Amino acid sequence: MDKYIENFIKKTEVAIKKISNQEIAKAIHIIEETYERDGRIYIFGNGGSLALATHWVSDFNKTVFSHNLEKNIKRFQAIRIPTTEEELTAWANDVGYDMVFAGPLKNYLKETDCVIAISSSGNSENIIKAVDLCKKNNIPVIGLTGFDGGRLYKIADAKLHIPTDKGEYGVVESAHGLLLHLLTNYFKDYFDAK
Amino acid sequence: MIITRASLRISFVGGGTDLPKFYHQYPGRVISTTIDKYVYIALNKNVFNKDFILKYSLTEIVRSPNEIKNTRFRAAIQEYYKNSDKPLEISSIADLPSKTGLGSSSSFSCALIKAIYALQGENASKEKIAKEASRLEIEILKEPIGKQDQYAAAYGGLNIIQFNPDESVNVEPVLMDFKQLNNFNSHLSLFYTGMTRNASDVLAKQQQKLPNQLETYKKMSDSVYDFKKYLLKSDYKKIAEMLHESWLRKKSLSENISNSQIDKIYQFALKNGAWGGKILGAGNGGCLLFISEPNKKNELKKNLENFTKSLGLYEFEEIPFRFTQSGTDILFNNS
Repeated sequence: MDKYIENFIKKTEVAIKKISNQEIAKAIHIIEETYERDGRIYIFGNGGSLALATHWVSDFNKTVFSHNLEKNIKRFQAIRIPTTEEELTAWANDVGYDMVFAGPLKNYLKETDCVIAISSSGNSENIIKAVDLCKKNNIPVIGLTGFDGGRLYKIADAKLHIPTDKGEYGVVESAHGLLLHLLTNYFKDYFDAK
Repeated sequence: MIITRASLRISFVGGGTDLPKFYHQYPGRVISTTIDKYVYIALNKNVFNKDFILKYSLTEIVRSPNEIKNTRFRAAIQEYYKNSDKPLEISSIADLPSKTGLGSSSSFSCALIKAIYALQGENASKEKIAKEASRLEIEILKEPIGKQDQYAAAYGGLNIIQFNPDESVNVEPVLMDFKQLNNFNSHLSLFYTGMTRNASDVLAKQQQKLPNQLETYKKMSDSVYDFKKYLLKSDYKKIAEMLHESWLRKKSLSENISNSQIDKIYQFALKNGAWGGKILGAGNGGCLLFISEPNKKNELKKNLENFTKSLGLYEFEEIPFRFTQSGTDILFNNS
C-alpha cells in the first residue's frame, strides 16, 4: 500500500516540478491585461477539466473580487462556457459535440477578453475548435495541458503544461488544480494590494 | 463606434539604439514599461455627413483624406482605410499633453491603426500594430525616429525590446510579480518639466553624429541586461546608478539632449534625495524620472516644485503613475 501511495505522490511531484515558471508568469500577465482593458475570462474543458473550470470560476469570482467591490469601481468576471447544462446539451444534440464550446463562445467573445482552455491530451476536438476561434480573432489563450501537450500546447499563448506519460489523467488534473489555485491566490493578493 | 487606446511608456536604458543607423550594425536594445496614461481614439462612420471630421488639438473638416493636414491622420487613413468614399469621424483624447517624452505620438499611431483595422473587422495582433505603426512613422512619414515607442505601445508591459539588423524585433517580457513591480514603482517619481520639445529635431541631430559614437551606443544596448539583473534583485540603488551613467552617456551623444534648465533640475534632485534619474524620450524637455527612497518622494517633490518655480517653470508638476501590462487595445466595438 505504502508503495502505491508513494508512487502516485512521486509522479505528481515530478510532474509539478516540470511546470515552467515563465509560462505561468505569461498567463498571469494575460489575465492582468484583460483586467486593465475591462475584459472577461472564459474557461472550459471536458469531464474533470470542466469540473476544474467551474471550481476555478467560483473561487475567482468570489474569493478574488468580492472583497474589492467597495474600493474599486471596476468589475472583473470569469465565466465558464457553456454557462448552463441546457446550452451544452442543446449544442451537442443540435449541432454536434465538437461545437459545445466554440458555439456558445462565439456569442460571448469580445476583443477585450481572454480564454483558459483545459485539455489533458491537448487534442479534444471541441477544445481545439474553440481555441481556433480565439486565435483567428487574436484573443489570448492560456492552455492547460498534460501528456505530450497535443495541439493545444502548440497554439496556446501561455503554455501551462504538465508533461506526463499518456493517460495519466489523475496526475495531470491534480497539477491543473494546483495551477488554477495558484492563479486564484495570485490575483487575490494582487487585488488586495491595489 | 470603435474606441481604442494605447499606453504611454517610460524607457529606462538603451534609448537611441533603436535608430536604424545603429541597429543595422549591432542589435539595439531598450528596456521600457508602459504606464497607466493613455491615448484614446474614438472612431465612427459618418452616416449623413459627407466630410471626414478629425478632432485633436484642432478640428479638421475635409471632403477627402488627401486634404487632411495632420500628417499621421492623413497617412493612416490613406494607408489602412479601404473605403475613402465613406467618411469617418475620429477623435483623439490623451491623458497627458504631447511632446512629453512618453512616446505619445507612437501611442497615437498604434491606437489609430488598431481602430481602423477594427472597423474593417480585424483585431490586429500586437506584432502587426507595432510593425505598421513603425512603417507609418518611419517609412511613410520619413520621421527620423526609432522603433522603440511603437513596440512598447503595441505590446504593453515591462520588456526588453531588441532591434535586429534584419529589421526583425524581439520583445522579451521581464517577468516580475506584482509585489516586485509595486516596489519598483514606489521608488520612482515622474515629473513634467513644463518644457516640450520635438523628438524629431533632437533625434535628427543625434543620427548625424551616430557613426562616430558606435562604442557608446553598443554599451547602451548591452546595459539592458545589467538593468534587468538589478531589477530582479530589487537593487534600486544600482538601478539609479545605471540611469545616472546612461544619462551622462546620452548627454555626450548630442549637445541638445539636455539644456541648462534640465541640468539644474537634475543636479538639484540629486542633492535632495534622488539616487539618480534621467530625462525621458529624446531629450531637451519633456519629463524627468527620479529614483529615491519611497518615503523621501514627497519631500523631493515639494523641493523640486519650489526650485522649478524659481527657474520660471510654472507648469512643472508630478505625474503619479502605475505600471501596466496592456498595450494597444480595443475597448469598445459595436461597428
